[in-house]
Amino acid sequence: MRPFFLFACLCTGLVALAAPKKEGKKPAEPVIKVVAAPATPVASLASRAVIWHEWTDKEGRKIDAQFCGLSGDFITIQTRDGRTFHFKTDILIPEDIEFARGCLDRSRMNSFSPAIIASAAADIDRLVGVVLSANKQAFNAPATDEQFLRRIYLDAAGRVPTAKEAATFLASNAPDKRAKLIDDLVFSPSYSMQMFNWMADLLRVKDTFAKGVPAFSFEDWLKTRIAANTPWDKLVSEMITADGRLCDNGATGFMLFDAEMPLDGVSNLMTTFLGTNMACAQCHDHPLAEWTQRDFYQMAAFFGATDGKDEAILGAIKKLTRAEASLPKAAVNKIADMNAFRLEDGDKQKLTFPKDYKYKDAKAGDPVTPALIAWSKAEKSLPVYNVSTKTPSQLRDEFARWLTSPQNPRFATNIANRIWKKAFGLGVIEPVNDIDDLTQASSPELMAHLTFVIKAAKFDLREVQRVIYNSKTYQASSSATPDLGKAKYLFNGPIVRRLTAEQAWDSLVVTAVGTYADNVLLRRGDDLKAMALPAGKVTLAEVKNAVDRTKKAFAGGGKAAGGKKAAGGSSLGLANGYEGDKPVSRFSLMLARASELPQPSSETHFLRLWGQGDRLLADSSTNDGSVPQVLQMMNGSVGKLVSDVRSAAVMDALKEHTPEARVTSLYLSYLSRKPSSKELITATKSLQDGLALTDLGWVLANTREFLFVQ
Amino acid sequence: MSILHSANLLRNPEDRRSFIEKCAKVSFGLSVLPFFTRIAEAAESTGAAKAPNAGLPGFGKAKRVIFLQLNGGMSHIDTFDPKAGASKGPGSIVSAKGDMQLTSYLPETAKISDKITVIRSMTAKVGVHASAAYLMRTGFEQRGSVQHPTIGAWAQHFLGASHKTLPSSVTVNRSSNHGNGWFPAAYSPLPILNPTDGLLDTKSPVSAETVTKRSSLLAELDAGFGGKAGDENVKSYNEFYESTFQLMKSTDLKAFDLAAEPAETKARYGKSKFGQGCLLARRLVENGVRFVEVAIGGWDMHATLDDRMEDVGGDFDRVYATLIQDLEAKGLLDSTLVVVATEFGRKPSFEGGGRGHHPLVFSSVLAGGGVKRGYVHGASDAKGYAPEADGVTPGSLHATIAHAAGLPVQTEIITPAGRPMQIGNKAAAQKGVFA
Repeated sequence: MRPFFLFACLCTGLVALAAPKKEGKKPAEPVIKVVAAPATPVASLASRAVIWHEWTDKEGRKIDAQFCGLSGDFITIQTRDGRTFHFKTDILIPEDIEFARGCLDRSRMNSFSPAIIASAAADIDRLVGVVLSANKQAFNAPATDEQFLRRIYLDAAGRVPTAKEAATFLASNAPDKRAKLIDDLVFSPSYSMQMFNWMADLLRVKDTFAKGVPAFSFEDWLKTRIAANTPWDKLVSEMITADGRLCDNGATGFMLFDAEMPLDGVSNLMTTFLGTNMACAQCHDHPLAEWTQRDFYQMAAFFGATDGKDEAILGAIKKLTRAEASLPKAAVNKIADMNAFRLEDGDKQKLTFPKDYKYKDAKAGDPVTPALIAWSKAEKSLPVYNVSTKTPSQLRDEFARWLTSPQNPRFATNIANRIWKKAFGLGVIEPVNDIDDLTQASSPELMAHLTFVIKAAKFDLREVQRVIYNSKTYQASSSATPDLGKAKYLFNGPIVRRLTAEQAWDSLVVTAVGTYADNVLLRRGDDLKAMALPAGKVTLAEVKNAVDRTKKAFAGGGKAAGGKKAAGGSSLGLANGYEGDKPVSRFSLMLARASELPQPSSETHFLRLWGQGDRLLADSSTNDGSVPQVLQMMNGSVGKLVSDVRSAAVMDALKEHTPEARVTSLYLSYLSRKPSSKELITATKSLQDGLALTDLGWVLANTREFLFVQ
Repeated sequence: MSILHSANLLRNPEDRRSFIEKCAKVSFGLSVLPFFTRIAEAAESTGAAKAPNAGLPGFGKAKRVIFLQLNGGMSHIDTFDPKAGASKGPGSIVSAKGDMQLTSYLPETAKISDKITVIRSMTAKVGVHASAAYLMRTGFEQRGSVQHPTIGAWAQHFLGASHKTLPSSVTVNRSSNHGNGWFPAAYSPLPILNPTDGLLDTKSPVSAETVTKRSSLLAELDAGFGGKAGDENVKSYNEFYESTFQLMKSTDLKAFDLAAEPAETKARYGKSKFGQGCLLARRLVENGVRFVEVAIGGWDMHATLDDRMEDVGGDFDRVYATLIQDLEAKGLLDSTLVVVATEFGRKPSFEGGGRGHHPLVFSSVLAGGGVKRGYVHGASDAKGYAPEADGVTPGSLHATIAHAAGLPVQTEIITPAGRPMQIGNKAAAQKGVFA
């Protein structure tokens, strides 16, 4: 009983969930000029209570934890130290299983009411409609149930539905079946998996940082936060203000990624969280935008008291172990790095203007006084700009308060635009990583409304997506990829998109092993604790202990601490890192969802071939094509996977008794629709003509229709 | 096949688009970004109608480039820049062809050194492996906010794809690691992690009869969505499947197949990963791949330098000399530039049987592709500690390679993130190396 074994190991002294920074008196919202968009009553949202409970297993053991989710037989809970556990409910006493079901209902009840959702969605439709008709355009025809089904599964659950899931939805006559399906999916664990993929690309989630420092704890932390549906502002604030070592506090991962290049770190976070492009201003006044090098340095100075790497401990460990020939050098180096990479604020802001500073507004070598950028002069008088720069050790906190405030001129718009792109394939402002000029939006009114919705939802990304998914605009049939060089796209509907690498992989995994894959979770962050030296104890004996602990923690399963395997070589070595169910392997492919595989996968893995980012930069995923993709899909391991007799899609089809029903079942598995009568005849005939159902699986997986979402 | 476009032409969105589609159609990796403006922004920003360096000596002589990466930091003093006195290593100094001196660790290279140019004044500031290797590979210092392309991607941008089915860039014994930089992912080199495996998944695991039946059924069943697609990206994938079917039938794939080499040639290159990698590189450039990187590790000689120079250095020596001779014998050397690159040199002083990292001065070697034969460019001081005069930076080495490859070295492009960039980070090419 893995979870309860772990419960027993929990120590009480661990960090409690970081309390959100208190903002002073809530000032009035900045005025946004919204044309034709009356305020929706979304602001009156009920706050969603977190459900804590003492859970008891059948052997009488107890644990205090927060309810995070329930899917079929699996429950996810989170303890106060921030760790999540995922296990079959049948180890719990029946009362607690019942309680979990009640929790699911309650957390749904605490979300936006159907009336609020409908109203906010209607506002989107009205705003899009106004712009469309002003340009003599109209919405695309409503999407069919089949199109909607496939689209919503891919967007909200990250994969296609199984034949059974598809058939159930298509057969239903309930008038609210679309709204109900949306809710079922956004409250399922698959929702967390696809959100993780999306955020991993944005936040550069990697198994190893520079020099092979393992960073699984950052992944675990992010998964935990997503499972608990932590609002975006809190999530970002936790990352920006995180303190301590990566092994103790996974949230430090975001900032530590750039520990050795702090200035780049600042320009990255400006792009990721504000959609502002200051990278040029790092070295010189921006040639094409308004930012100056001084602006950049003044922003970067908020991080000028923060240190990411403890050189003293690195040197100390090196000195202690120099004469110890018996200690494995690689392990010692990793332990040294693991203890050295940490976030700590000193009492001095150390950033100075660079030696080659060439403008008149500051002097080379002078210390920089932290100051916030604004996109217009008026913004500087907003209360949120009233930050204190007196205490260097508080600078990061002050910055985070400004960054994540609803009053920040870009924070809400940036995430709203990115979430919109996730659903529609294009942002309201493109490119999404440069939204300095809001007038570039295809509809500034729509952008303003989405910004308003995300603030009203208190940065709850699930609620915002529920609103979007329920809109007529989202539920319209798709448009061909527009040429933005000719005209702005006004959102007649979502655009036809190639599945992301993760959507394609997760869909193939589910056709191979069914919904089993939704319950396979990879969690490795706790293993990193083995590498931590006790605070203040940098002694040879402790280093030796850490080496021993590390060996044990990473023994056997090949969950090598940042070794080649963990970095994305063979994913098969991960077998021991899984909670819940264990993944199945076929054709050397570990059949777990993309979020539960190495981050990122190795370069030759399906995921990378199909465009999973290398996570060196934010937004590094692509949907570009290449011949090796097609070769792997037709002839390689994935080609074998889709034409395998053990495939769940094929086995589901074999449960049917007529060739026609079998073909229909396979169509539902791969394309989420029934075949046309012509297709049915063609496919059935091919089965009498030397091809097997497994061949039909191969054919359907290789259709363009499978690769794209309409 | 040079399709160098003027910036003015590329400023027109329609023309840019057709330019990009033209590149895409002839490339191994076809770009299907959801819209074209992002790539189009990567078009040239200045008004240069043609390369400003066109016509200068050496320009465009190298139709292809083999870029050898000796990972770990090759000791210049123990290889191409031998020193007498306190800095001298365990190897002796020998007179080599082409009126230059090498160490006794490079006996085979000494026989072909009348065909090479040694640059003894390479200089950089970075002494950390990963960052220094990045600098040598791209000509730019590593940054956290941008990834820089290899020469292969620059070349694909300026010259188009180098072959109708084969990739324009390949990495051997290493991952591609964002080699496309800010250019479309389709410009990313194709990684071949194991040269003897070649390109994976080119043969179907099922019978030819089944393949035929499957593909005709695929065409019929995809007629509804794929067949009448109005979407550019769907059409692109249609073409992709088509070209993959053609590729599987074509003889072009033989470029990846070392088994097709005569046994005698295979034996000369040897069985090491470096040997097989260089043989594959030669096959690839011979068949139309423009830029091939071949990586080999083992050069971080902090200890037992003597043994490792014989072992790692010996393998390099045999394979490198074989590659140069083989290219020469096939008549390819004058049009193929072979670059020996390493992240830094090693210290003049010995410590614990080896030498520490030393970026201040080190050596690179160029051969073929229009560079002088039997020539030493620049020099280090008597100790091998610093360049004697102005050093050659990695950026300048890149500008030199780019000049040889016929790329407009001084032409600025604007990246999709709006940043102006040029090959080698504005460094000038070393004109003195060209014949």
